[in-house]
Amino acid sequence: MVNYFLYESSSGYALFERLESEEIGSKLADVAAAASDLTKFGKMVKLKSFAPFKSAAHALENMNDVSEGIMNDHLKAFLEMNLPKPGKKSKVVLGVTEKSLAGSIKEGLGYDVDASEIVLDLVRGVRLFGDKLLKQLKEGDLERAQLGLGHSYSRGKVKFNVHRSDNMIIQAIALLDQMDKDVNTFAMRIREWYSWHFPELVKIVNDNYKFAKLAQLIKNKSDLSESKLEALEEITGDAAQAQQIIDAARASMGTDISEIDMINIENFAKRVIDLADYRKKLHEYLISKMNNVAPNLSALIGEMVGARLISHAGSLTNLSKYPASTVQILGAEKALFRALKTKGNTPKYGLIYHSSFIGRAGAKNKGRISRFVANKCSIASRIDCFSEQPTTKFGEAMKDQVEERLEFYESGATPSKNADTMKKVLDGLKDAAGEDEPVSAGKKRKAEEAPAKKAKKEKTEKEDKKEKKEKKDKEEKKDKEEKKEKKEKKEKKDKKEKK
Amino acid sequence: MGFGDRGGRGGRGGGRGGFGGDRGGRGGGRGGGRGGFGGDRGGRGGGRGGVAKRGGAGRGGRGGARGGARGGAKVTVEPHRHEGIFVAHGKEDYLLTKNLVPGESVYGEKRISIEGADGAKVEYRVWNPFRSKVAAGVLGGVDNIHIAPGKKVLYLGAASGTTVSHVADIVGPEGLVYAVEFSHRSGRDLINMAKKRTNVIPIIEDARHPHKYRMLVGMVDVIFADVAQPDQSRIIGINAHHFLKNNGHIVISIKANCIDSTVDAATVFAGEIPKLQEQRIKPQEQLTLEPFERDHALVVGKYVRAK
Repeated sequence: MVNYFLYESSSGYALFERLESEEIGSKLADVAAAASDLTKFGKMVKLKSFAPFKSAAHALENMNDVSEGIMNDHLKAFLEMNLPKPGKKSKVVLGVTEKSLAGSIKEGLGYDVDASEIVLDLVRGVRLFGDKLLKQLKEGDLERAQLGLGHSYSRGKVKFNVHRSDNMIIQAIALLDQMDKDVNTFAMRIREWYSWHFPELVKIVNDNYKFAKLAQLIKNKSDLSESKLEALEEITGDAAQAQQIIDAARASMGTDISEIDMINIENFAKRVIDLADYRKKLHEYLISKMNNVAPNLSALIGEMVGARLISHAGSLTNLSKYPASTVQILGAEKALFRALKTKGNTPKYGLIYHSSFIGRAGAKNKGRISRFVANKCSIASRIDCFSEQPTTKFGEAMKDQVEERLEFYESGATPSKNADTMKKVLDGLKDAAGEDEPVSAGKKRKAEEAPAKKAKKEKTEKEDKKEKKEKKDKEEKKDKEEKKEKKEKKEKKDKKEKK
Repeated sequence: MGFGDRGGRGGRGGGRGGFGGDRGGRGGGRGGGRGGFGGDRGGRGGGRGGVAKRGGAGRGGRGGARGGARGGAKVTVEPHRHEGIFVAHGKEDYLLTKNLVPGESVYGEKRISIEGADGAKVEYRVWNPFRSKVAAGVLGGVDNIHIAPGKKVLYLGAASGTTVSHVADIVGPEGLVYAVEFSHRSGRDLINMAKKRTNVIPIIEDARHPHKYRMLVGMVDVIFADVAQPDQSRIIGINAHHFLKNNGHIVISIKANCIDSTVDAATVFAGEIPKLQEQRIKPQEQLTLEPFERDHALVVGKYVRAK
């Protein structure tokens, strides 16, 4: 039976002793009832000791540990000092609200711990009568401590955001999409505007960026002469086209334009060019960011689609937690829910449609390849999120797998087995690691997920899961392959018979 | 979990932005400014410069409504049936809460100053039922909202803190609001709001894991939840087990689509009731939030841990 229990308050740790009382039984219901009555509850528990936090920073440090289920040194010292040593004479069972903290206390100090519901009821009682039971505190002290600690804890959470680099990707891809739209509208505007003066140019040069550059160079078409041929050629990259422009300028039916109007057009053309250049730089930035954060995902389906997936999921971690079926239709929620409501056909693909794979598959195979790509994306994002060493090997291997699969749909060539492919990649990685011994230790996620212990634990769990998943995938795939082969054979037979 | 990750609460905000556009006529047509970037709640808008100004310069937009409301003489304020909530009668009627921080709007809402009998000025903030489900519930005629002056409230799904600010107004300086929100983006706005209101304790943490913030929360009288998650009944239950007083109350806003989009709303609401009972919550009242929200229900219940 629980005879001591820990209460973590905003201003310090409190240890209570649970008194044996005949009036109040040890049954759960009785405890729960007593916990809402101060006179009864006061007889039931006694404050053993209270250890306030030294400062706000100290409180925050302890709070972070408590919320992650880690035993802080302060808590350890406090418990060691106030609890009787675990021995035969006095049996100590310490009640702790939460399991993982209970586990780390048991591990660290060797007490028997209990995290059952009865502890929750006892703690509820203390929480209710906190300022009366904790005699050191005045009324309102706890609330003030809660306020201060709440602010600092929450600020910390926002400040040390785990998804920092993911957010950069999300913003970059959003900006990139916006820029694409804007650059296009501006380019249309400059075409429209400059065409009053030189309408023939649009027919000759179709590319928006080139057009803006030419407008900036040519300015007034009547000033255009052979002397600018070289500069024109530099932009168009085509001598014939440059000559064509000069000829067109001579015979142009465009209106003449005043100096001041020309200056304005020129200014605007400059803006458009700058914007287009900026877009290019932003694209490079996104690519480098993606190769850093999600190398395998980028290698598999390309940086842009990968970034869109991350953006849609909210973060790489979220994406890696999604099942492949969700990844497959990510971005097609509207169609999905419509289909679910009307019991129609659910969409085959969402954002991953923009990867080139699906476009290359035949109409019949689009759904299949989409499912396959989604499976691979899911695996890639998990590897990116939880692996310690950055590598693109997996992504590249998976890309090859997708290619093989496409080939299989086309010609029926048997694709290599997933187990073999993965083994090859792992062996390759091992060899590489053997060559340059010091492997770049502890990548990104580790450093970012603040309390390292918990994160590690999670990671190993996740990795286990991942491996399992991969195995499962393999098995499933085998089955599927067999089935498919059978099916296709059947189909062929059928066709033959028909003929 | 489905598509909406927890951060996806932001996404929901975006959706509501859409609503605001075509339905919010009464609410002052703020629709345009909402929806924001990246689908966050984006309700800040900012383009309401006129609010701070008085008199003629501020007029325009929705005609006399604003001027009328600010006019003072024409508007009378009466206490609502629920303590801490007020109603303004003028050209249009508004739901109000007494501004805890006079002179400041939280999210660009209107403010009304009324001179009391003793000549002291009291400032109220207009509470838009299209943006707040609590306000919608109050206007929908809920019997007892359980949020009243002096009460302690655990608010799950606080988002940017727009409704939280009104709840803080209602409970007043004697009360306390623990505002839990998981999304960092809207949490930022929440913290900023809480800086001004010392009876709000912001908690940026997942409401699924109340043990993570158990150090920050005391016993509360009522839990309000607007988490829009498929397992929200469970979330509310575990929070109640930790923090809700015996015989305390819960008020939940249920969005049918977030729990099951394939069946109709009434079935979803009916299905939630046994889930709540499993968590020792005795449902007492249920009302839909029409016409303010589509397929939403507000459920009020009582938490009975021990007889």
